[in-house]
Amino acid sequence: MMRIDDVKVLYGLACFSLCLIIVSPTIATFVSFPSGEPFSEIWVLGSGHMLEGYPFDVENGAKEQVFVGVGNHLGRSAYYVVYVKLRNQTQALPNSTISEPSPLAPLYEFRAVVADGETWEEPFAFSFLEASHFGDLFAVKKISINDQVFTVEYPCVWDSENNGFFYQLFFELWIYDDDSSSFRYHNRFAGIWLNMTV
Amino acid sequence: MRECVINGSDDVGMMSVSRLFFVFFVLLVFASPIFVSVGLAEIDKNAAASAIDGAEASVVSAYEAVLGAEEVGANVSGLLVRLNDAAELLAEANIAYGLGQFDEAAGFVGVCSEVSGAVKSDAFELRVETQGSRVWELWLALIVSLVGVVVVVFAGFLGWGYVKKRYVERALEMKPEVSEG
Repeated sequence: MMRIDDVKVLYGLACFSLCLIIVSPTIATFVSFPSGEPFSEIWVLGSGHMLEGYPFDVENGAKEQVFVGVGNHLGRSAYYVVYVKLRNQTQALPNSTISEPSPLAPLYEFRAVVADGETWEEPFAFSFLEASHFGDLFAVKKISINDQVFTVEYPCVWDSENNGFFYQLFFELWIYDDDSSSFRYHNRFAGIWLNMTV
Repeated sequence: MRECVINGSDDVGMMSVSRLFFVFFVLLVFASPIFVSVGLAEIDKNAAASAIDGAEASVVSAYEAVLGAEEVGANVSGLLVRLNDAAELLAEANIAYGLGQFDEAAGFVGVCSEVSGAVKSDAFELRVETQGSRVWELWLALIVSLVGVVVVVFAGFLGWGYVKKRYVERALEMKPEVSEG
């Protein structure tokens, strides 16, 4: 049989645990417990809303569609801008090492305020217009994005290794930063490669 | 033969000046619409740019107000839907501005500022409302917790008397009896 002192300690512990259980909801409202690593994500899905069916061989004038999405896991609502940019193989991508966006000017933009744990997604329809090629050079003069026409005039050269004229359409994720009261590049981007044919 | 008499160098000067003035006047009449349209376009561009800046500030301010409401635990899902509409309009305005469609940009910006202004004031109201009910809820939780703890401590003391009594009874029951042999 247990000694009376041991019973006393056990009884005291049981009462203390019961008190903790009773006050825990109140404590939880005052104390914020650390959550997981906060992060945002950006993705591009194919026309079937899947990780497949991406446009690749793109003809002049042919209308293509993908979906661009953003996920917020920052623990609070966030204000995002997605800049759409187009580059040829020699133009710069964003630099993830130093968190620098691509120096190219954006062609199009999306803006969204996304609640924590929520996602935002929009269709992105595009077609290349007035594309032509002369020997090893391919030139696109205009691109239509969601029925708006933008001038690009980026030439690209024949890629003999991969046999094609390649452009990359990519989406940079920017976020509104309370500290600097401005948007900053969120060091995330997603893109698709396009093989141009006339 | 017709004789042309020039009375002095002053006459030649007056003729040339008046002809030159006439030519300039005609040119000005024809060219003025171009200058005016270029000037107006520049004004439109500047006006659209400053309107976009204003709308951007308005959306940011609405977003910060919504964040404030969210921080005190308000349900901001409805506000976020409207704020997203405003953000989308701002994006449309930026795109239109980039394409040189300044009137369209100004149109988008007008609606955007209106929506974000309404979101901001609603977010402030929601924050105040939620803060009030939140304070009351916190007090209630605190009182319920305190009462709960007092009840547990009180019942604990009473219970301890009972447990102790049971313990002694069981200990006595286990005491070996001495029988006469």
